[in-house]
Amino acid sequence: MSETNPSPIQSPTVAPTSVPGASPAAPLLSVEDLRVQFPFSRGSFLSPQRGVIRAVDGLSFDINKGETLALVGESGCGKSTTARAIINLVHPTSGSVRLEGVDITRLGDREMMPYRRVVQMVFQDPFASLNPRMTVGSIIGEPLAVHGLASGKDRKLEVLRLMDLVGLNPRFLNRYPHEFSGGQRQRIGIARALAVQPKLILCDEPVSALDVSIQAQIINLLMDLQQRLGLSYLFIAHDLSVVRHIATRVGVMYLGRLVELGEAESVYSHPTHPYTEALLSAVPVPDPSKAASRQRIRLEGEVPTPDREHVGCSFADRCPLVVDKCRFDRPVHRQISGSEKVHTVACWERG
Amino acid sequence: MVESTPLLKVEDLQVSFKTDESQVRAVRGVSFEVYPGETVGLVGESGSGKSVTNLALMGLVPKPPGRIDGGQVHYQGQDLLKLNDRQMQSIRGRRIAMIFQDPMTALNPLMTVGQQLTEMTRLHLGLGRKEAHRQAAEMLELVGISGAEKRLRDYPHQFSGGMRQRVMIAMALSCEPDLLIADEPTTALDVTIQAQILDLLRDLQQRRGTSIIMITHDLGVVAEICHRVLVMYAGRVVEKADAQTLFADPKHPYTQGLLRSLPRFDQSSDTLEAIPGQPPDLGNLPGGCSFRPRCPLAVDACQSRDPELMNLDGRHEVACLVAQEAVDV
Repeated sequence: MSETNPSPIQSPTVAPTSVPGASPAAPLLSVEDLRVQFPFSRGSFLSPQRGVIRAVDGLSFDINKGETLALVGESGCGKSTTARAIINLVHPTSGSVRLEGVDITRLGDREMMPYRRVVQMVFQDPFASLNPRMTVGSIIGEPLAVHGLASGKDRKLEVLRLMDLVGLNPRFLNRYPHEFSGGQRQRIGIARALAVQPKLILCDEPVSALDVSIQAQIINLLMDLQQRLGLSYLFIAHDLSVVRHIATRVGVMYLGRLVELGEAESVYSHPTHPYTEALLSAVPVPDPSKAASRQRIRLEGEVPTPDREHVGCSFADRCPLVVDKCRFDRPVHRQISGSEKVHTVACWERG
Repeated sequence: MVESTPLLKVEDLQVSFKTDESQVRAVRGVSFEVYPGETVGLVGESGSGKSVTNLALMGLVPKPPGRIDGGQVHYQGQDLLKLNDRQMQSIRGRRIAMIFQDPMTALNPLMTVGQQLTEMTRLHLGLGRKEAHRQAAEMLELVGISGAEKRLRDYPHQFSGGMRQRVMIAMALSCEPDLLIADEPTTALDVTIQAQILDLLRDLQQRRGTSIIMITHDLGVVAEICHRVLVMYAGRVVEKADAQTLFADPKHPYTQGLLRSLPRFDQSSDTLEAIPGQPPDLGNLPGGCSFRPRCPLAVDACQSRDPELMNLDGRHEVACLVAQEAVDV
């Protein structure tokens, strides 16, 4: 079966993306104080307890052209919800999401359309995210039809170009998703995302369902496409080795908040927040000689459910460095002193 | 470190499954030993046969469509593959226990954790109700669940993922088995919880001397916890060595490829060297060595026969003609 072989790509038949009201000076994506809350009620029918899950609890970051920002953190830290809020699949409770300077959080579905061309998404499960009744050609061609970008012969040519771009043999145009392996399905998902020529792709655990040998193929493809097309990625993953490899910058999330954000190299070599330290030290390294000598910081217990408001630091309850101030004052992001790289941490005791 | 008589000895195990089109040979001649007190890692990707191998050890291959085509599993002077269901039941859970990837599907959602823990010990060890209850509480404490007395009355859904996996481990160890088979026990867990569970397994092994077969696709987990490693590909063991040797000096091109294709957490790298192509379709294997179509070192001879494991230097076995030849010369 075919591999990514960089063949000369004819230029796309589709015009480049532009959105109404865009200001070229603004960062590609700018998220400010984003909050997403889900109300819930539990307990018995007669005496329900009501509350809110604070999935995303005051998140701010930018993504610039051509870079990969990775959000890492454990289940329930809000990384996937963040991605969904960025494309308005869930509506933010407060805060703003600006695409090229335009706030899209209050836009309705119809008004969102031009912005959906700028941001696309690649999902974790290539088995669930492709319609089993559609051929590869119609899956990849659908965004072109929906956005009215190409029809008839043009559309078919564009689909073939996209298949070639992601390393799928164009002979498979009329096949169905079940005829492909996991890695190839993920290529189909990537081609579909690329069809509308987005500037930013949100990748939600794009390789975690794949076997190791296939995972490397897809990571290489994503990095190759980024170089060739100048794409930006928001990369969401729990695998910290994959993130180190692909990310320009890394944000570490805990209970809906960013606790540390900085250039990948700097975060990995100088983890500063106590949670980042613990998280990184828990990653198994495929080298028995190193495994024995590594310093490990073991956290007690598990990440709690984000169902109560933290006035202070959300990590205070599990933090080995906790002081009184941490429980009452929410730490703000501060540049780490002594670091030349951009690297901020939200911790009163460190930084 | 390990005693010289193996606790379990698997010889030439063959398992196949009947499908509409063909007989799929999932396990094709797997042999290995497990010594008392050691952890053996079984590594491989989806479809490599690592899980089926262990289902066969436990007598849990669904028949039909599954079929044991050959081989022996020696355990305490008997061949486990020849035992009937009743005899197997007295070993399964008692002498050889298993923990699965997804504790939510392995635990009964309608029974409290206490009921499930005591069911085991009452059946296998013949404990009375009170004694079993006391022992169950002890087990929960042992695996690090606090407030054990109270938690025995909880149902599985009241536990978090990491805690459920601890319950599974408590259940598996409650009859003090000689061998614990752990099938991707940490795959569904977050890294900090994974680290806790691996620590727990290591600690319990030291205290009780339990042998562990660790089935995983995660080479990091293998490096953390395994003493010896078997690398499986398309239903066969292609390389067998102690963990230090395997990671420092992998001989089979598949193992080498796996290690090269892994993004490294402890160092930055430019591009990953992916293994080209896909794992083979087990119902339609290529002739000769099944890794040949993806192998960078393949020579003509690889087409003619599927190489057997060969011992290179007493502690490193590899099933690759090219690697074997390099040593011969």
